[in-house]
Amino acid sequence: MRTKLLPLLAALAVASPATTLKAQEPQGARIAVAITETISGYNPYSDPVVLLGSVWCQIYGCITRYDFDKGEFVPYLAESVTSLDELTWEIVLPEGLKRHNGDPVLAEDIVHSIQYLGSNPGSGKAYLVAGWEKVEALDARTVRITTATPDATLRDNLAGVAVTSKALFDQLGDAMFAEAPYGAGPYKLSEVAIGQHIVLERNDDHPLVSPSNPAQIMYRIMAEPEQRVTALANGEVQIAQSVPPQLMQRVEDLPNARIASVNSVEMMFLAMSPKTHPWDVKEARQAVAHAINREAIVRAILQGQAHLLNGPVSEGQIGFDPGFVSPFDYNPEKARELLHSVGLEGVEVTLSTPVGRYTADRQIAEAMVPMLEAAGFTVTLDTPEWATLWANVQQGNVPFYYMGRGSMIDPSRALHQYFATGGSPRIGFADPALDALLNAERAAFDPADRSAKMQAAISHLVEEAPAAFMWQHQMAWGIAEGIRFTPRPADQVNGWEVFVE
Amino acid sequence: MFVYFSKRLLGAIPVLVVVAGIVFALMQFAPGDAVSMLISDEASEADKARIREAWGLHRPPVVQFLNFLAKAAQGDFGMSFRYREPVMEIVLARLPATVELAMAATLVAVLVGIPLGVLAGARPGSIWDSLASTFSFAGISMPNFWMGILLILLFAGHWHILPSGGREPWGLGLDRITGFLLLDALLQGRGDAFAAALKHLALPAIVLGTNMMGIITQLTRASVQEALHEDFVMTARAKGLSAARVLWRHAFRNALIGVVTIIGLEFGALLSGAMIVETVFAWPGIGSLLVQGISSRDYPLIIGLVLVYTTIFILVNLLIDLAYTIIDPRIRIR
Repeated sequence: MRTKLLPLLAALAVASPATTLKAQEPQGARIAVAITETISGYNPYSDPVVLLGSVWCQIYGCITRYDFDKGEFVPYLAESVTSLDELTWEIVLPEGLKRHNGDPVLAEDIVHSIQYLGSNPGSGKAYLVAGWEKVEALDARTVRITTATPDATLRDNLAGVAVTSKALFDQLGDAMFAEAPYGAGPYKLSEVAIGQHIVLERNDDHPLVSPSNPAQIMYRIMAEPEQRVTALANGEVQIAQSVPPQLMQRVEDLPNARIASVNSVEMMFLAMSPKTHPWDVKEARQAVAHAINREAIVRAILQGQAHLLNGPVSEGQIGFDPGFVSPFDYNPEKARELLHSVGLEGVEVTLSTPVGRYTADRQIAEAMVPMLEAAGFTVTLDTPEWATLWANVQQGNVPFYYMGRGSMIDPSRALHQYFATGGSPRIGFADPALDALLNAERAAFDPADRSAKMQAAISHLVEEAPAAFMWQHQMAWGIAEGIRFTPRPADQVNGWEVFVE
Repeated sequence: MFVYFSKRLLGAIPVLVVVAGIVFALMQFAPGDAVSMLISDEASEADKARIREAWGLHRPPVVQFLNFLAKAAQGDFGMSFRYREPVMEIVLARLPATVELAMAATLVAVLVGIPLGVLAGARPGSIWDSLASTFSFAGISMPNFWMGILLILLFAGHWHILPSGGREPWGLGLDRITGFLLLDALLQGRGDAFAAALKHLALPAIVLGTNMMGIITQLTRASVQEALHEDFVMTARAKGLSAARVLWRHAFRNALIGVVTIIGLEFGALLSGAMIVETVFAWPGIGSLLVQGISSRDYPLIIGLVLVYTTIFILVNLLIDLAYTIIDPRIRIR
């Protein structure tokens, strides 16, 4: 044994430098993407992470997707998605659509996928298909969905429906996800290492891909920002998600990489639950909105990497009104007057914030405390661990908190969830006028009409101030030289949108 | 000896049950909720109730724990809430990465710490002694995460000679036989894979082993100094043995018992201490898995991991007992 090992070990010293270089250079059209969140497993319906949702859509094909150039949801796996009337939708599959193993994609697959999403314990996204009363296959290519109430967000919801095979599920059950992950998307599943990485291979038969897209993509978990940036510098990854403001200059200074920033569609806000005092008083809520010097926070703490919001949405999102300006400018005197007018000067409040969940969240909350105190509040800062805070927020037990809400290209679901009566206990806001406006936007199928109704709802919401809308973070991506990728407001890296030059 | 080890292993069973009970109870008292953490924030209360029932969380905690024990007795430690895979499959798949890292770190600590400690102990007040003190105190006092990030910046970000993290390069193509990459590479005669794995292992092993190196250096130094003043050393010198022989054969060997105890205890601490290093280096071991499990309140995974840690501690202690008999023939296990 010793005689065999010694020459081998001796050879290593010679072989090793070349090996490292080889390992760290992108080979052919193969790229690695450093991501922040974990990879839960093989089941495309269980993972709530937005970026991973888009990865599963690349493999299986989701029914629709959002086209940022057109500014609307367009068919992805489907050929068309049409509303026949207020309650009835029809999905038609392209003729001859096949999975990666050659099996046809059938209407019954869509029905199965929607049923799995809605009722299987393995699904974590049943909300996507809530209120869909009937889903039926009319023939091999056509599916009809009947909703309980008019729902203009249905195309948005279909963007989260990955279409898996009913035949394979009947044969294998949940084991299908690992043993036969055959989709019909632009990329095929090559490898999953749970909690570590996921590797996709280009499906050259798919119309969205071209030879200049990566032949292979690895999404690799790197939780630490320093490591993502260093891996980018070292050529270990070609795209790095979420470069924090303090590391952006380092990436800009690299000879082999650059920064590309884009507004996220995640609204950051201060929620104030009217179920609790003093937030049951509108003037107290409005005082908060006047008290926060958002410009200073964005400039000093976020180093300019955020876009101030006039409401819950900004440009590119449904319901954005470029002419709408928030009535709540930074005005500590006005804030103090508002509090004084309702006899609440010196009222004690507790501001809760996550730590490390959002960019500079703790520092931001710390900066807000003196601003709120200058307006007349007596503030205690609470910084619980994320799991504790999140569970309490979901149960409606946190009166005043700094939080973000993503997945808001179409903001309807988020606005209903946070601000409609009974939407969720998180804020516990109840306002029949706002409910009526939100229901009206959801029932409007004409895009212009819907946008106008959404704007009316947003205007009313901002005035009532159950939340003070702060900003959207600009998401900075590190991108290696030789890679062409334009990040979109949604947190996604789709292979067909990445080009290797 | 067989009887002794069998008794010790059987005695470990109640320890494991008690540990599982404590962990389970602590998690019941901990704020936060697995369902809230692991499904979409858009899920309705009805969806959450459905998931809670599917995961058995709707039952009283005592029933949950008894169910767990009953299944664990048959080798079924439940399914991870987050990964939807059997807990032991996930843990065992990642255990070799942590053990390999801990062994490499121990090797670094022993290979540096013992010679440095012996030299310092043999020549108190010398340059070796000062060097050993400086190294060991630096090693003990430097925080792992700080040193890890610093080394990543230097070796990966600046000099580009070592990878920034992970356990292997993409496309290594090494078949898993034991799960220990270095060993698997050797078994398959893959020098390239051995070198690549070694390069990925180098920084995390150094960072993880630095603290242990400091402790070993200090302890070895003190033990050797003490041994050199014992009567048997004077006798050995009087017999005309060379200084090196007196130091290594007599003083060092007698000093070794305390050092081996510390190595064993520290090896256990390395396994649990690997959490931070694994997170900093994206090392796919059970330490980073435990961090993910705790942050998402993945109770089955947390209990499974704690039981694995406990078992390893028990086994390491047994091995230390065995090592005593080899180092000091006067010690007999009954």
